[in-house]
Amino acid sequence: MEWEQLELNPRIIAAVKKANFRSAKEILRVSGADVQRLTRLSKTDVQHLHSAVAAAVRKSSPVTALQLIQGECPVLEPGHRLSFACPILDGLMRGGLPLRGITELAGESAAGKTQFCLQLCLSVQYPRENGGLNSGAVYICTEDSFPIKRLRQLITQQSRLRPDLPPALIRSRHFTDSIYIEHAADLEALQACVSQRVPVLLKRGLVRLVVVDSVAALFRSEFQADEAIQRSRHLLAFSSTLHRLSHAYGAPVVCVNQVTDVVDGPNPGRCDYGLVGSKVLPALGIAWANQVMVRLMLTRLAGQVKSDSRSSALRKLEVVFAPHLPRASCLCGVWEEGVRGISDNDSELQPQSSS
Amino acid sequence: MHRTVPSLPLAPSVKVKLINAGFQVASDLIDMRPLQLCKEAGISQEEAVEVLQMLRDDAQPHQQRAATESLTALDLLHQEQTLGSIVTFCSGLDDALGGGVPVGKTTEICGAPGVGKTQLCMQLAVDVQIPVCFGGLGGKALYVDTEGSFLVQRVADMAEAAVQHCTLLAEDTEQKQALEELTVEKILSNLFLVRCHDYVELLAEVYLLPDFLSEHPEVRLIVIDSIAFPFRHDFEDLSQRTRLLNGLAQQLIQLATQHSVAVVLTNQMTTRISNGQSKLVPALGESWGHAATQRLILHWEGLRRLASLYKSPSQMEATIQYQITVQGFRDAPDEPRHTDSSAVSSPSGNYSKRPRLENLS
Repeated sequence: MEWEQLELNPRIIAAVKKANFRSAKEILRVSGADVQRLTRLSKTDVQHLHSAVAAAVRKSSPVTALQLIQGECPVLEPGHRLSFACPILDGLMRGGLPLRGITELAGESAAGKTQFCLQLCLSVQYPRENGGLNSGAVYICTEDSFPIKRLRQLITQQSRLRPDLPPALIRSRHFTDSIYIEHAADLEALQACVSQRVPVLLKRGLVRLVVVDSVAALFRSEFQADEAIQRSRHLLAFSSTLHRLSHAYGAPVVCVNQVTDVVDGPNPGRCDYGLVGSKVLPALGIAWANQVMVRLMLTRLAGQVKSDSRSSALRKLEVVFAPHLPRASCLCGVWEEGVRGISDNDSELQPQSSS
Repeated sequence: MHRTVPSLPLAPSVKVKLINAGFQVASDLIDMRPLQLCKEAGISQEEAVEVLQMLRDDAQPHQQRAATESLTALDLLHQEQTLGSIVTFCSGLDDALGGGVPVGKTTEICGAPGVGKTQLCMQLAVDVQIPVCFGGLGGKALYVDTEGSFLVQRVADMAEAAVQHCTLLAEDTEQKQALEELTVEKILSNLFLVRCHDYVELLAEVYLLPDFLSEHPEVRLIVIDSIAFPFRHDFEDLSQRTRLLNGLAQQLIQLATQHSVAVVLTNQMTTRISNGQSKLVPALGESWGHAATQRLILHWEGLRRLASLYKSPSQMEATIQYQITVQGFRDAPDEPRHTDSSAVSSPSGNYSKRPRLENLS
């Protein structure tokens, strides 16, 4: 650290060097009183030191919300989202996935979470004007092996899912080349993958979507019921790495989560997120929920929906919380070509009313 | 000049040496020469020169700080009344808070994810800008975002709704004139955003706040959303965290009082197990509970969202219901007082014209 770069009295700089501070961040990490004690400087001197050091650490000065909305700071507010490849789903999400922050997709097994993730892995590869990010995706599997057959099926059916795109554009994409598959069998491997291999892919611009399918599997299996504190600590370390990467590279992170059963009715020690009457809640508790910016829940409903004489089980995608979205949900189905939302006035709906 | 030596802005070791040498009051030192002082007190020549330089600067009459100025309680009451508060557009909450989020104090908002903390903060950042003739403060806001959850689209929605609300309320010419200048663009241009990615950046930002507030004296609200997020990981040494948080709390209270701003902090919830029962409590530990002047806890009760005022020096504990609509943070729909958010407010409503004090300085 070049202390001379800071505009400070040489006496202060000498005291700082003598106290063995090696960087501006080190000074900030120590409380004010401790700095005074270690450098033996007066209070006003320490104030000057803090101002100089803080100015050196600060990355950018405040911008106004008007500048953000006018697109003058693409780092803070990119102005576009990652499309779900379906206009109804995009409508629910006001454009698609935010580019920064962790989006969680929770649901029971066979609800269709992996289908959503695969669809996003294809959607990210289109250019920006078609709702993508012109880059690939890294898919981290922790449960089953990667569903490569299903991916190939989705690729062949892309033109059916995206009638809005010119066929030449779809043909020109080498989808499988840009999806990087990682398997993590235990927590150590998962943390290593996320802190070493994923940053390399992001830095090289090869990927701009990170999918973790699923977060719950490893964290629930490796910790006993009474090891909640260790589990929280590992969860925080994991999520803070993802958070940092997402913000540094503008890459959406999608984490698939399992659900737990609600057995004993309302419990003051557990947060229900207003999901009254739901028999399941997203797993991993409030420690994980605090790290998530957008929480989506996918539920399988009774009933079928038809499209061109094919039928699919009915599902509901619900926004549980998001800073920019109201509590809303939409129905969707899973077909050969992927997931498509169903608008309310769709006459092909044949739901049998569930609770 | 009767300043005692311990009250001088010098390094503690120098002060100790001066006191041991028998210097009690500043006037004892003022006539000494550096070498003399050096020998008598046992400090280095450099330090002696500095001490005398500092005393000479201090002796200028216009620089003498009133170290022992006293105010009567009545003066303090006047001061507090003129500071004002920021409405939340939820009249139940405004009443519980005694008018709104108070300027000059720190308010902490705790709650589980998704309950509405960020929504309330964004609402306050818009509401602080309501012109004075509508009962607002006409001030600017600084939003320190540590989680990345500030999405400007949502703030634009809230600003639009606030402008529409004021349009419905405008009665006299002064209000109509103020309304012409109140546009969504203007509201967005008066809202400053800073994003901090870890606790070191957050601490740096807080050290730079006094300069920022001097450059922008119209800022009346500082939001830190959230203060918990950067402090809850990367900390092996919890006592270091407590020291840093305490220092931060003191700095923020000082800023609030010296620059007349309202400081709003959001905090997360965590589970605490006591007697085999688990409860949701605010994060960051027990000692953090003393940091803010007021504490508001937002929580779910079934489908209802409730806000509880847990700690306040002037208001009593209360729980009110609220809801989050497209327009922002509002009263819950079955509140008997206000039927719809678009209705014109009752005369005693918090966002209608306030009686103006004659001797407003």
